[in-house]
Amino acid sequence: MLDILTAVLVTGLTNGALYALATVGLSLIWGSMGMLNMAHGAMLALGGYITFTVVETLGLPLPVAMLAAVAAGALAGMLLYLGIVRSLLKSGGPGFETSVMIATVGIAIALQNALLLVYGGQPLRQPFAISGAVGVGAGVVPLLNIVIVAVAVAVMVAVSVLISRTRMGRAIRATAQNRDAALLMGVPVGRVYLQVLALSGGLAGICGVLVSSITQLTPGLGADPMLKAFIMCVVAGLGNLPGAIAAAFGLAIIEAAVQFGAGARWGFPVLLLLVIAILIWRPAGLFGRAQIRRM
Amino acid sequence: MTDASLPAAAPAPRRGIATDLAVGALLLALAIAAPFLIDSRYVLGQIVLALFWASVAAQWNLLFGYAGVFSLAQMAIFAVGGYATAMLAQYLELSIWAAIPLGALIAVVFSVIVGLACLRLQGVYVALLTLAIAQVLYLLIVTDTACFRMEGTSCRQFTGGATGFARFGDFGMRQLLRGDWMMGNYAIVLCGFVLTMVMSWVIIRSPMGLAFKALRDNPAYAVARGVNRFHTQLLVFALSAFFTGLTGGLYAAHFQAIGPGLFSLSQLLFVIAIAVVGGVGTFWGPVVGAIVLMLADEFMREAGEFRTLGLGLIIAAVTVLLPRGLVGKAADLFRRRP
Amino acid sequence: MPEPDIALSLEGLTAGYEGPDVLRGISLEVPRGRIVTVVGPNGHGKSTLLRTVSGLVRARSGRVLVGGAEVQALAPHRIAAAGVAHVPQGDLLFPEMTVHENLMMGAYREADAGVIEARLAEVHALLPRLRERHRQLASSLSGGERRMVGIGRGLMAGARILMLDEPSLGLAPLVIEQIYEVIGRLREQGRTILLVEENPARVAELCDTMHLLDNGEIVWSGPPAELMDRDELLATYLGG
Repeated sequence: MLDILTAVLVTGLTNGALYALATVGLSLIWGSMGMLNMAHGAMLALGGYITFTVVETLGLPLPVAMLAAVAAGALAGMLLYLGIVRSLLKSGGPGFETSVMIATVGIAIALQNALLLVYGGQPLRQPFAISGAVGVGAGVVPLLNIVIVAVAVAVMVAVSVLISRTRMGRAIRATAQNRDAALLMGVPVGRVYLQVLALSGGLAGICGVLVSSITQLTPGLGADPMLKAFIMCVVAGLGNLPGAIAAAFGLAIIEAAVQFGAGARWGFPVLLLLVIAILIWRPAGLFGRAQIRRM
Repeated sequence: MTDASLPAAAPAPRRGIATDLAVGALLLALAIAAPFLIDSRYVLGQIVLALFWASVAAQWNLLFGYAGVFSLAQMAIFAVGGYATAMLAQYLELSIWAAIPLGALIAVVFSVIVGLACLRLQGVYVALLTLAIAQVLYLLIVTDTACFRMEGTSCRQFTGGATGFARFGDFGMRQLLRGDWMMGNYAIVLCGFVLTMVMSWVIIRSPMGLAFKALRDNPAYAVARGVNRFHTQLLVFALSAFFTGLTGGLYAAHFQAIGPGLFSLSQLLFVIAIAVVGGVGTFWGPVVGAIVLMLADEFMREAGEFRTLGLGLIIAAVTVLLPRGLVGKAADLFRRRP
Repeated sequence: MPEPDIALSLEGLTAGYEGPDVLRGISLEVPRGRIVTVVGPNGHGKSTLLRTVSGLVRARSGRVLVGGAEVQALAPHRIAAAGVAHVPQGDLLFPEMTVHENLMMGAYREADAGVIEARLAEVHALLPRLRERHRQLASSLSGGERRMVGIGRGLMAGARILMLDEPSLGLAPLVIEQIYEVIGRLREQGRTILLVEENPARVAELCDTMHLLDNGEIVWSGPPAELMDRDELLATYLGG
């Protein structure tokens, strides 16, 4: 009994950390510009593959490879802004929400396919793999899971410091809360959007490395975490960062419990039913206000 | 937020009923002439495929472009119609002609459940939840390994599992027309397509269509005049599910096969791309989009593996460069000229 | 380089939203150290005038000169950098930020921490309430306090010219008095201000020049005392 509990908690907390990292990236963009980035999952895969290449092909150490993943994700985010988002924002209007979603689905498919062409469809093993385990109380916890949670939490703390304490973070929040007022303060809003997409892309890059380390490296590896992360953002109320992180951990533990209790294939269905039930009860999300709240 | 969740598509060009009838008659004449002009079975088969996707895209356009429901469960509903048809024919040994309309009704039931769960929410929430529902359905089908019944030495899962269903019956045209069976199938699918287009046209021109226009142009006013957004959207969701499911049934019967690949994101993207390239919120957009994208797809076949990559880039580029699609662009050009 | 005598000048400014022109051929000057007021009935383009100067609304023709440099083609954040601090109607505070953070956003373009500290001290001296409310979220403030944060945030920019859009709108009479007292103090400090107001009587004693805006055009300009004596103008344009 106790070891099942440990296993559920280990899986739940590990997945929770990964989902939370993905929700932070998604929430940042939604909160500041009302954009759902459907290419986020493909950017996760990009980060995973970049790390693989830097370690396996170039033979550089893992930390360098992870920085490369962050850089590649950030670059992809910036290109997404310059190539797509900027023009859609300019033509603007109420259609932005849906048109940006459709356009980024297109980018997601293209990027995922590009990875497939370059690396092939065979699952690869992510070099970010740490063996060994630590005994905790009655159970045994793999070291890899501990490292994943630690890295994810460290990254989230860094992001929250960046957002709450720095001048750049203040500009991001100001733009999210009142775009016109931010412009009047002299905030270059276009550059803020670029920074937000770069930041979110960087987060996707590192998240992809972590996700592929416990699963495998495939072009579609980001799709499942992205979809679940979206669902968690929705439950929390889109754009609510702390709420999304809480929802990510809570739902991941429930998902893990269902998977252990009823079989792996029931995890997502139960999760979704739960989410739908919550949304019928509170249509704006658990922590959302009637009007969608920005960061 | 409510108006922000509706698409930007400008009101459909106010061309008269006469124009629609003329365009429709012209297209229909071309479609009827096609099998007599084309003797390649492959080309005719591709046209049948184009008719399927044009139907599904037209139904999605009705939902998104007119009713403002941003559903990503369109292919799931199509697949439910197809799967139900296949399963009814397989397990209950129903005639395919009975299975198809029943399959469409099952798609309606499915859509009403989805609609009740999602449609009260705001636009992007609807998109995310419908996508998740489609994905869950896919996962449940491909991970289904429990034996439902033995067929010979192999075991069949209730949902068909990762392989799906095959050889559960067809339109019967192979016995009837022999070598020309494709023409028979073409005629049936064309009838189905015309039916879906006529029904969407009627819906758009009906009081319900006016309610959508009111909800899109001035939600507060529409609600004040007693238009219930949820009920209207649910109704159109169910109606479009009937025709989407019907198309799914025809698809299953035409190919005599159906599998979980229909749930894939790239398949959904193809249908959305048809509507977007043609012009969301324009009646003829999906037809134009289907023709253009099937041709583009045919050309990209040369490029082989770059096909999906190209499709993704096309849809992104069109969203940015032609926000109202080809038909919307053409309408703008017409209007500019005196 | 000495500061030019004219902080802001508008020359034949025409602007509007999607439809017809809301402003037609507006010309006026705001000399350094003076308060210039634009009065007129609601819906006749007063807010649009300020929004056009700060770049939120694109000028269709005409020129906007800030400290002698043309700015009408620039993006809003560049116009802010050129020295325009716009305190918009309805405050437009950052609701989920503290009072302090809102003020710091006002000084967004300023890099020198010492300068920011000095300005913060000035703002606190002028608006002591803001020091008390320091850590409170902007969304939790009363209407008058919000208005003060708006003004304080505008002052934090250290701009050439401060533009105030109906600072008394929607406030209780007692609070309105406090707000005008603050503007009086700003006048004593020699600030350059372009003020927009519906009721000329409230600001007659505060400003140096008054422009009467009617239906997108300036129909009268002169010293405020003169306008207050012209009953026929007041009756025609401001309904008494």
